Amino acid sequence: MNFNDLMKSEYIILDGAMGTMLQKSGLGLGEIPEKLNIEKPEVVMDIHRQYLEAGSQIISANTFGANGYKLKDCPYSVEEIISAGIRNAKEAVGGKALVALDIGPIGQLLEPAGSLSFDKAYDYFKEEILAGKGADVIYFETFTDLLEVKAGVLAAKENSDKPVVVSMTFERNGRTFAGAGVKSAALTLTGLGVDALGVNCSLGPAELEPIVRELTEWTDKPIFVKPNAGLPDPNSNTYDVTAEQFADCMDSLMNLGTVKLVGGCCGTTPDYIRELKSKTESRIYKKADYKKRAAVCSGTTAVEICEPRIIGERINPTGKKLFKEALKNNDIDYILSQAISQVEAGADILDVNVGLPEIDEKEMMVKVIKALQSVVDVPLQIDSTKPDVLEAALRIYNGKPIVNSVNGEEKSLSSVLPLVKKYGASVVGLTLDEDGIPKTAEGRFRIAERIVNRAKEYGISPEDVYIDCLTLTVSAEQAGCRETLNALHRVKTELGCKTCLGVSNISFGLPNRPLVNHIFLTMALEEGLDLPIINPNDEDMTGAVRAYKVLANIDKNSGDYIAHYNDAQPEKKAIQTSRITLSDAVRNGLKGEAAAIAEKALLTTDAMEIVNRELIPALDKVGAEFEKGKLFLPQLIQSANVAQACFEVIKRHLAKTDAQPVTKGRIILATVKGDIHDIGKNIVKVLLDNYGYSVLDLGRDVAPETIVETALRENIRVIGLSALMTTTLKSMEETIALARSTEGLEDCVFLVGGAVLTAEYAEKIGADYYCRDAKESVDAAKQIFG
Amino acid sequence: MIKLENISRAETLRYLGGGNAEPDKRMDDLLDFCEAELKKNVSPKYLYKKIPVDSSIIKGEDIKKHLEGCDWCYVLCATLGAEADRLIRSYSVRDMSKAVALDAMSSAAVESVCNSIEEELARENPRSFLTWRFSPGYGDYPLEVQAELLRLLDAQKKIGLCADESFALTPSKSVTAVIGLSDTPPEKRRRGCAVCNLRHECKFRKAGTRCEF
Repeated sequence: MNFNDLMKSEYIILDGAMGTMLQKSGLGLGEIPEKLNIEKPEVVMDIHRQYLEAGSQIISANTFGANGYKLKDCPYSVEEIISAGIRNAKEAVGGKALVALDIGPIGQLLEPAGSLSFDKAYDYFKEEILAGKGADVIYFETFTDLLEVKAGVLAAKENSDKPVVVSMTFERNGRTFAGAGVKSAALTLTGLGVDALGVNCSLGPAELEPIVRELTEWTDKPIFVKPNAGLPDPNSNTYDVTAEQFADCMDSLMNLGTVKLVGGCCGTTPDYIRELKSKTESRIYKKADYKKRAAVCSGTTAVEICEPRIIGERINPTGKKLFKEALKNNDIDYILSQAISQVEAGADILDVNVGLPEIDEKEMMVKVIKALQSVVDVPLQIDSTKPDVLEAALRIYNGKPIVNSVNGEEKSLSSVLPLVKKYGASVVGLTLDEDGIPKTAEGRFRIAERIVNRAKEYGISPEDVYIDCLTLTVSAEQAGCRETLNALHRVKTELGCKTCLGVSNISFGLPNRPLVNHIFLTMALEEGLDLPIINPNDEDMTGAVRAYKVLANIDKNSGDYIAHYNDAQPEKKAIQTSRITLSDAVRNGLKGEAAAIAEKALLTTDAMEIVNRELIPALDKVGAEFEKGKLFLPQLIQSANVAQACFEVIKRHLAKTDAQPVTKGRIILATVKGDIHDIGKNIVKVLLDNYGYSVLDLGRDVAPETIVETALRENIRVIGLSALMTTTLKSMEETIALARSTEGLEDCVFLVGGAVLTAEYAEKIGADYYCRDAKESVDAAKQIFG
Repeated sequence: MIKLENISRAETLRYLGGGNAEPDKRMDDLLDFCEAELKKNVSPKYLYKKIPVDSSIIKGEDIKKHLEGCDWCYVLCATLGAEADRLIRSYSVRDMSKAVALDAMSSAAVESVCNSIEEELARENPRSFLTWRFSPGYGDYPLEVQAELLRLLDAQKKIGLCADESFALTPSKSVTAVIGLSDTPPEKRRRGCAVCNLRHECKFRKAGTRCEF
């Protein structure tokens, strides 16, 4: 009997709790339960046997927490504990049930919430999977972070050929502790090709009903459910649902359909499993109504493409000088601010393109995707022409992304589609091939058809292919616009695919481009465009989509439209700048006013003069007030932000005139290795930035080697280090020591700060400046650079 | 179930510098905004368990002194969850002034959650006396105890709280602590500067004031 044979039966009975059973058998509080696999195998085997006798057909070995992190202080290795666990289970069931390698969360939060990297998580899981070769099925359970379990599923699929089943743990609000929703879990795990997915723990069977119901609507994979025996009493640690009640509730969950594997979690015992078995004996398995949807998601948010959805196009260096600068300077915050402004303007999905010849695109793409997913909830579209960049991004992406793109060329089809399948993504298909872009709608339709068919061969369904019929410049080829729209219409109606289209290219070379873009967008929507790729910050374009949804009877009762425009003031208020000075504007946090004053001043005054005579003294005054305790930190930062807005104006001005950028000196900033607290470092960054220093921010948890390499490569000799934990101060010391012993960096200047740091310690480890707060780091910079 | 309420403005402002300044309208508006954001997005979670004081997680002289005269103690943990960190992160990009205010207010909020837990424990033990909260990292009570303490409470599974390899709690707006339970009033052991590891560098002390610890 193997897993696939077993899945042919109507219902499959899993086992019940291990942890609470072990506690009853005398496991001490806070002890590692997996040690018993070796020290008291008979206790573990007895529990397995009880479940087998109660009717369980898959027994989970006692390996839930047996990973390298949780066992690091345990006298036994992962290999020893897991192989003993599997051996115990196998021996206990004697071939009468299958044995699952039970894998729980590592016990440390993944980045960005914690410091565990995706790759490290993968390695922990891989170690468990290799140790559990003897199991019949790999069972991931009680996960709350979708990205963590994705690392697990990839580790399982890449290191074993066993079936993989996954269960997540949701709270009553339908989300996990890490914020994952049911839809995101269903889309992501179904895409990754798990053999069954489901829910366990946290709640009783009655409370899980809405969650299981939603799951049945978002996946066609067999679902399994392992609830707790109700809700626990915090004092007695007992649960409030009896075995009979439990089985009754499970019966109604099975009525929902698609639920095929059933068992119990905390608080359940063999009695619960016995009752459950009696409920399934005469049942015929039924599948819930399920309609495959076109949808993508982040770890938290799913977007169904059942109506026009805006893809924001602004994260792309093409034709953007500031963006290119940001990429070259590793200025991730600039990219993040582009993302946030698009989402606030109404983007549903963001395209991410960081291709620039001078940078390592793969490394940058991974860094940007991680950073974006830590601050925005919308799904992302990974945009690159290089399969290795796509794959690196697909691995670490949390959720189900869109790949942009594949085209009709064989080389593209055979390199991109397998990645789309393996990582369970959707894909944009461009209607071009070896011979270029066909002139006619018919030609483009044929390529679309080929892409859809090839995708099917790889096991990718048409719902996951979004065809782009390609916009050509109408001033160059006027008849082409109609061909694009006709092709789009045919793809939509004949192939059943969703469509996407970059819009703004249409107007290239014409005057009043926005007008042409705007009308073209409306025409395309009417032909069936689902995913316009536009600049969402262009209010007319976003507005056109909103208005279209009203007119096409999609936005019911115009609710969304009214919500957006009811209070909107169509006339932009002219900013009054006549009565206040730049200094007042900085003091009072008036960003728009200050920028307008700076703009005006630039007409008559040299940029550096504005910086040195106006901005910096204004900031100094605010800084002094903060030091005296007259202002609070947020106010200091607001003033700094106002100065920043002025610097932006000046930077733009200088970019136009190609003059040297304003910088008073370059500084590297990093939170040291092992430390993930970066807010202090970020405050310092904002202030230094706004005083005109150019900051290279290496982020948090940065290894000494990385800091030293960057200083050498970028020829920067001033380094600011932050540490917030007593346990990570050592990394600060190591970083300074490494620099001091590196040729070329002996005279490097170190600024250090952080809550637990003392002046004494700073001196001891050889730092040059101890900065008690962000303001003092600016003072230090002034002393260093003069 | 503890709701986020009574977040101390005074404590929030103290974290934000500003000495004894009265917040102006701009600060008040900012703090109103932060409070609304936190209340909308964050639901605090906590766990506690009564254990005998001879448990292996009671390590070091200072905690033992703290628990003198107690046979039992509560270990507890509380967290604002991943959502608070996410909010702060997201505002760090959007508007750093809001991020620092949210950060400070979240720290004050998790303390207020702990105060509510203490009240709950006092209600459950009407005839006993509770000591104040002593956390890993105070005095010689080692931070290294976090992992065992969290395991004892099954904190990852039940409320999503972990420690990283540097023993920092994740999500970051979280607290773990030990509270002693005694039949007689505990000696007047004030919590305060004497057991605080930061006393030599404390900017509050330098300014002649103190924090609420």
